[in-house]
Amino acid sequence: MGQEPDSFMSDIPQSKVTVPVITVRDFMDNAAGRFTMELVAGRDGLDKVIDEPVVHRPGLALSGFYDHFAAERIQVIGMAEYTFIQVMSEAERIACFKTMFDHNVPCIVFPGGNQIFPSVLKLAECYGVVVFKSPDLTRYFMMSAMVLLEELSSPRCKIHATMVDVSGMGVLLEGKSGLGKSETALGLIKRGHALVADDLTCVRRHGINHLVATSTETARDFMEIRGIGMLNIRQVFGVGAVRREKQIDLVLTLMRQSEVEHSLDRTGCEQLTRDFLGVQLPQRIIPVAPGRSLVNLAETAAQEQKLRMSGYVAVEELDKRILELHSKKEIGRG
Amino acid sequence: MGDADADRENREVVLMNKYGMHVRPAGLFAKAASRFKADIYVEKNGVVVSGKSIMALMTLEAVCGTPLILSAIGEQGTEALDELEGLIARKFDIPDEQ
Repeated sequence: MGQEPDSFMSDIPQSKVTVPVITVRDFMDNAAGRFTMELVAGRDGLDKVIDEPVVHRPGLALSGFYDHFAAERIQVIGMAEYTFIQVMSEAERIACFKTMFDHNVPCIVFPGGNQIFPSVLKLAECYGVVVFKSPDLTRYFMMSAMVLLEELSSPRCKIHATMVDVSGMGVLLEGKSGLGKSETALGLIKRGHALVADDLTCVRRHGINHLVATSTETARDFMEIRGIGMLNIRQVFGVGAVRREKQIDLVLTLMRQSEVEHSLDRTGCEQLTRDFLGVQLPQRIIPVAPGRSLVNLAETAAQEQKLRMSGYVAVEELDKRILELHSKKEIGRG
Repeated sequence: MGDADADRENREVVLMNKYGMHVRPAGLFAKAASRFKADIYVEKNGVVVSGKSIMALMTLEAVCGTPLILSAIGEQGTEALDELEGLIARKFDIPDEQ
């Protein structure tokens, strides 16, 4: 007898999950292309760790109320805060920022192109707190910074699987070595789909219930096909045949026919799930046997999952049809 | 040792060849590993990859002197580990990297 559905592939050793530690420098270095930000003071604080990688408007704290102050976050001086400190006397302003810096904030940002008070810059320099200025509007800066911080700090791991974008559906092919993950991916690429990663896929959690897959920098665009060797997919098939990252929509687990035996649900009533980083993804077990076209199966499974996600489940319609037929017969008999 | 690990065997090794795990050694390692029925895994600092996958082995970024943990699960595990440990010790028999 085969394994219980929820334990398919769970016996495979997995890489440890890492949750990256983000420093102010990481935040600055990765801002390019997302928002504009310039360091104006406190360079000494660049290696400070952002314990809670989110942005925070200090609002109340500036008025002196520091209970439950989120000091571990990036402090953003938006228009409201800016106007508030603008009307302060110089002495009040210095005292105000001294208190904030005493709470050991990782860095502060002045968006909206506002001029930063020289006294604040001087103070930040003394305390080693990085100060950034940004011409971007506060709301856009906040949104872009949140997205970046989430991307940098979300939990991640590397898994033994191949990832392909099949007509917009992110399909993760997993299974033991030699079962045909890469050959299946190659077949899909030949049909116009795009490779994300071959054999080792980096997975990162996005929000609460999404996973994003990408390749390692080392192996990007490359595949190993037995009998051919190393292939650069971008060179052989063009830029359309590769994709940098893609959300995972479906996990296809390749297993030897002998390993699954007759334990599989054949109707599609059961929706199996596969857990990565605490996110449950729809999973299909694909028995590998001579004569089965894995490319066809993978492509069709992707299309079917797309339908399911839009609310249509074929097996439910079929069952409804049968039950309706039954009820008509019963009425006829009565 | 739990039941799940009953047929799992680990071996600690240190990569000794000059240029570390680049394409050629990865190819030789995966080829040797694939001759055995057991599933082979290679671990570096908590990252575990299949020992039968060239792509995965290359991405370990293991240089000369890197400690690795080889593990085998299933039939022929011990023979596989003996063979792979020997291959690493012999610096993959690559003349330029001895």
